[in-house]
Amino acid sequence: MVWRGRALTLGLLAAAALAAGGCDERLSDVTGPTPNLQPTFSSIQRDVFAATDSAGRPACTNCHTNQGRNPAGGLNLLGDAAYAQLVNVPSRGRPDVLRVKPGDPDGSYLVHKVEGRSDIVGARMPLRGPYLTAGQILVLRRWIALGAPNN
Amino acid sequence: MTLHRRMVWTAALLAATILIPSTAPASDRPAKAAPAAATPKDGSADADTAPADANATTTAAADDDEDTILDPTQPDFTLVSLPTALRVPRHRSAFRVTHRFNRPLGAGDVGDLASDFFGFDTGAQIGLEYRYGLMRGTQVGFYRTSDRTIQFSLEHDLLRQQGGRPFGLTALAFAEGTNNFRDSYSPGLGLIVSRTLADAAALYVEPIWVNNSSPLPKALVDANSTFMVGVGGRFRVRPTVYLVAEVTPRVSGYKGDRGSTGLIAFGLEKRAGGHLFQVNVADGVSTTFANIARGGDTAGDGARNWYIGFNISRKFF
Repeated sequence: MVWRGRALTLGLLAAAALAAGGCDERLSDVTGPTPNLQPTFSSIQRDVFAATDSAGRPACTNCHTNQGRNPAGGLNLLGDAAYAQLVNVPSRGRPDVLRVKPGDPDGSYLVHKVEGRSDIVGARMPLRGPYLTAGQILVLRRWIALGAPNN
Repeated sequence: MTLHRRMVWTAALLAATILIPSTAPASDRPAKAAPAAATPKDGSADADTAPADANATTTAAADDDEDTILDPTQPDFTLVSLPTALRVPRHRSAFRVTHRFNRPLGAGDVGDLASDFFGFDTGAQIGLEYRYGLMRGTQVGFYRTSDRTIQFSLEHDLLRQQGGRPFGLTALAFAEGTNNFRDSYSPGLGLIVSRTLADAAALYVEPIWVNNSSPLPKALVDANSTFMVGVGGRFRVRPTVYLVAEVTPRVSGYKGDRGSTGLIAFGLEKRAGGHLFQVNVADGVSTTFANIARGGDTAGDGARNWYIGFNISRKFF
C-alpha cells in the first residue's frame, strides 16, 4: 500500500509537471484599446499607425500621410512607405537619433516621441492626445527590441 | 489559460480522489518506537520543546509516527519564505501566518522609522497557510496572501538523510494564481536538497523552476519562466532560538524588472512548544514562488529596499 501511495504521488507530480508548462498572460489584457495588437510591424501599422482606437487615440496617418498633404515631420506612415521611412532613418527633429534603431527601443526617436521624453523636438505624439497606453508602447518597444523586422 | 486552469484543477481533484484513499494503514507503517513525542530528537528536555498541550502529546505518542517527533534543526516548514524538508505527519496539519510590512526601512531618517515603529504601523501583505499530511512524507499546502494570490503546493519526500546518506531530497510542485486563483497562473516544480548538521543547523539548496513568472505576456518578454536556486539555512544559536537566512538568485530565464535582484531574507526566531515566532527582514514582500522569482525590490537608485515582517507558525501535532 505504501508503494502505491508513493507511486501515485509521483504520478501526481508528473501530472503537475505536464500542467506546469505554457501558462501565459493575455496580450489583449496589456494592449487595452487595441486588443489585436501584436509586436509585429504589420500589426503596429494596422492597429496603431492607421487606426483610431476605441480609447479615442487618433490614427497617426491622419497627419503622417502623403495623401492630399505633405507628411507631418516628413514621415509618411501609410502603407509600404512606412517601414522604409522609419527603420534606420534619422529623425527630422533630431538628426542624430534614428527614428527606429533596431534592437534599441531607448535609442529610437519614435519611442521618445510617443513617451513624451524631455529630449524631443516639438510635441508628444499623437498631437494633443489621447496618447498611446503604456501597454501599446510596450508592444512598440518589443517590436524594436526584436530587431524591428518588416514582418 | 483556460486549458491550464482546467489542468491545475484536474491535478487538485486527482489529489483529493486518488491520494487520500491510498494512504497506508497503520499496519503498513514501520513500527518505530516513539516513547515520548515531547522529547526532541536531540534529547534536550527544556520546557519549550514540549508540545503545546497535553492532548497533542498523547495523540502524537499514540500515533507511533516518527514525524511527530521534534527535529530541533528543522522546527518549521519554511525558512523565511523558502520551504524546508520538514514533514507533516500523516493526517496532521500545521498553520502559518505571514506578515510583510510595506514600508521600506530605508525611507526617511531614523526618527521617521522609529515613529513608524520600524514599519509595523504601515499596511502589510498578510498570508495564511495551511498544510496537511496526506500520508507519510507527503504534504499538501494552501497559502493565500492578501493580494488575493492563492498558492497550492505538494511536497513529497524522495530520500531521507539517514544511514549513510548525507542529504535528504524532497520533490515540490506548486501552482499559484492571482485574483483568488482565477488569473495569471504560475505553476512550477522544484527539489529541496537538505542536510542537517548534528543538532546545530540545517542547510538547504532548492532548485526551482517557475512558469509564467513574468507579469507580462511572453510575446513581450525574452523569457516567461524562471529557474532559480534557493540557498538557505537555519542555525540553532540557543536550544530554542534560531537564526535563519535565505537567498534566491535567478539562474536563468525571466529575472524581474530592470534592477531587480534575487530575494534575500534573514530572521531571528524562537520556538515555543508547537509555535514558532520569527521576525524577519527581506528585500521584498514576496512569499509565493512566482513572486520570489520576480525578485527583490530596488529603489530608484538601484539600492535594495528592505522590509520587516514576521512569521508565526503552529503545528497541530
